[in-house]
Amino acid sequence: MLAATLLLTVTASAVPAAFVDVTLDNGLEVTIVPDRSMPVVATQVWFHVGAANEDAGSRGLAHLFEHLMFGATASREQGDYSKYVNAAGGEENASTSADETIYYAEVPPDAVDGVLRREADRMRNLALTKENLDNEKKIVTEELRLRTENDPEARLLVKAQRALLGTHPYAFDPNGSKDDVARATVDGCRTFYDRYYWPNDAHLVVVGPVDPEATLALVKATFGAIPGNGRPPDDVPSLYGWPFPESLSLKEDIPPVEIALEGVPLPPPDTPDGPAITVLLQLLSRRSVDPFREIVVARRKKAIEAGIESIRFRRGGGLVFYSASLPYRRQKTAFRVIDEALSELDGLDWLTDDAVASAKRAMLVGEVRSRVYAEDLAGELGRERWWRGDAKLAFTRMAQLDAVTTAEVAAAWRIYVRGGKKIRIYVKPERVPFYIRMFGWLYPLFS
Amino acid sequence: MALPALLLTAAAAASAIAVPVDPAPRVTTWAVDAGTTGALVSDHRAPSVSIRVEFPVGTWSPWAKAHHASEAFGEQDDDPERALRKRADALGVSLGVGMEDREASVRATCLKRDLEETLALIRDVLRNARYDEKELRRQDRERAIAWKGNDTDVQFRLGQAAARELFRDPEDPRRRDWEKPPSLETHAAKLAASRDQLILFPGRTVGFAGDLTEDEAKEAARSLLPASGGEAPPDMAPRLGALVPASERPGERSIPIRKLTQVYFAYGRDSLPWNDPRRPAYLVANHVFGGSFYSRLYVALRHEAGDTYGAGTRESGDVAPGVYGAATFTRAQNAATIEAKLKETLAVFHDKGISEEERAAAVGYLTGSRAFGRQSAEQILSRWMSERRMGLPPGFSDDVVERAAKLTLPEINAFIRDFYDPAQFTMIKAVAK
Repeated sequence: MLAATLLLTVTASAVPAAFVDVTLDNGLEVTIVPDRSMPVVATQVWFHVGAANEDAGSRGLAHLFEHLMFGATASREQGDYSKYVNAAGGEENASTSADETIYYAEVPPDAVDGVLRREADRMRNLALTKENLDNEKKIVTEELRLRTENDPEARLLVKAQRALLGTHPYAFDPNGSKDDVARATVDGCRTFYDRYYWPNDAHLVVVGPVDPEATLALVKATFGAIPGNGRPPDDVPSLYGWPFPESLSLKEDIPPVEIALEGVPLPPPDTPDGPAITVLLQLLSRRSVDPFREIVVARRKKAIEAGIESIRFRRGGGLVFYSASLPYRRQKTAFRVIDEALSELDGLDWLTDDAVASAKRAMLVGEVRSRVYAEDLAGELGRERWWRGDAKLAFTRMAQLDAVTTAEVAAAWRIYVRGGKKIRIYVKPERVPFYIRMFGWLYPLFS
Repeated sequence: MALPALLLTAAAAASAIAVPVDPAPRVTTWAVDAGTTGALVSDHRAPSVSIRVEFPVGTWSPWAKAHHASEAFGEQDDDPERALRKRADALGVSLGVGMEDREASVRATCLKRDLEETLALIRDVLRNARYDEKELRRQDRERAIAWKGNDTDVQFRLGQAAARELFRDPEDPRRRDWEKPPSLETHAAKLAASRDQLILFPGRTVGFAGDLTEDEAKEAARSLLPASGGEAPPDMAPRLGALVPASERPGERSIPIRKLTQVYFAYGRDSLPWNDPRRPAYLVANHVFGGSFYSRLYVALRHEAGDTYGAGTRESGDVAPGVYGAATFTRAQNAATIEAKLKETLAVFHDKGISEEERAAAVGYLTGSRAFGRQSAEQILSRWMSERRMGLPPGFSDDVVERAAKLTLPEINAFIRDFYDPAQFTMIKAVAK
């Protein structure tokens, strides 16, 4: 069995022979994975700037700028990029997170040259006009209303993020605020563009049925002609060690349940314990049987629902244990139940050698399954480069994970979960129906 | 608005850096028994196998409703000790059991070396009689609470309103799906009996995608299910009711929702079934009207004046009509403006049709985008199973695009004058309460 595991890991870990991973003279990092079994080519341009790099008073600028990148350039009209990709049968999009802004395209092979030329063009030749900015400000404000203002769960998340993180750069919704978006100017956008949108702050990934030498030659002829310039964004402080508040209470227009959440911060994924934490998260939060939920809901019947969620950023993350109850249970009781369940998990019955082996196996299944999709692989290459410093980790990380021992996972539990700074959030519904207010306390009698 | 011909030429030009793509794997089929078809899409790129076992009973089936088959099938992997799910976790298998509109299915993906154990797990799931009754009762209460969340879910409320307007019979599953569900059956013996019947009905499919040879797949399929037994019950097939004629639908309806700062619009009618002979024309027309980032709707409602973030068309339904329509939203103060533009965009589209350049761009998209469905063996198997489930010939999805590419501009515009008649459309709005 061990031999089989290692063989599979090696299979999933092999860096393809024709893999290209170079840095051009202007600082642009280029990763090319040729694979003729893929029927489409994925291109991604990762700009290493996100909402966490925005200044106070310009929240949402990274996202607003992402919209502007689909505008006209000095030689191409508004909409050219999207129309080109679409007429070829492809898809294009972009996303802005706290840590990065990514421009995606997936096209049938014949259209990839045109995509690369257009990506190079808009990296420096964007025509920023007041007319276009004013239009995009309206569009982004509608997006903000859609995604946050009119969605109770999103409103809750944004409020929690802001209250928990205070002045940390991750405290702000990447969509920004309506006031800041309204204040954006062409000059401000030009300053942002001139600071961050340069080859030396970007990573180009190409995956699919391409000739690697010819692709690199085209990249050099297009992107390579752009000078390196600007300066990289300031680094974002780690979430691990950040002075979070100990507790927080929130109200929102959610279904009639009260939710208790107890979380701990996690270190950035490039720390030496990163692989052990990844296995720990797989064991806790990505399996069909959740050990925490089994204690709180199935066995002790102390909540309607409970579970474990994790969130990861480039500079840290969090692990959250939550339980949801009808609004009759006191806040203190809800947290006591969570703490008792965590104490029970300290017994580590759920953390056996077999469980660790199966967690690794599940990650391997996911890895080999997603590897046939050009876009998935491109995303992993981009993320590994920016979050952990080396695109090749997309191929070699399974070997890293395979080397993690049960003792290392147990240590990660002790240090980061049980030894971490505990943060408590309690969420109450704004409205509770009369019958639940009156009779909710009967719930456990019928459980 | 018109797409420069130069762009189309550029998109069609051969690439200097692309290389020929390996041919996509094909579907191989065989009879497992009198009521069961086997299917394999062999792909040896990765040492994994995806298994999909499908049964011809879905939530739309009257038999399924009468026998609580949705929970009988969907909860069969959850025994009180979670023994089955723990086995799945131990194998690193993501096991999915559930029921959709027209089918029930078990899905799993495993490493090839774990195939035997995964097949054994599926067999044990399909004969598990130890349902977790307490968990079912908990789910029932949770569903009742979660249902309250729909009050403030804009997309749900719009979908519910559209279904109520379009499908006359409250028991039509296309309408019933949007109403509060009845309580779950929680009696394990009843659920097991229902599931035991369901899995024997003929019309089953055992599909494999991945690192298997045909012989290996046939061997695996042979022992997976009990022999198919007898005939399907007369009430197994979905019973769909009549549509409310456009002349009887209200021209407009408003849905009040708490705390909204935007108005959301769904401007819809009944959709065109997949097997309708006009479907090829529809694919082209829909792409131009609302199917892309530079469609008529996107240009009129987003790019020209920033009225919205999103505008486009949505479609439900399959070989039976569902709901088709244009959807968008804007700040409350701008509602009248965008509503007028939405109506005008449809009216102009209906009256004037599309241009030759728009037709060519749509055909370019439809033909080129087929490559996305050939990326994995799982996708190819899934499409084949979907076509089979709907009673469509294999390759139907590709064929309809080929037919779309051959249509002339006058043929497409004639279709638009018929299907996009504004008199057929109802305006549903979600507004602040």
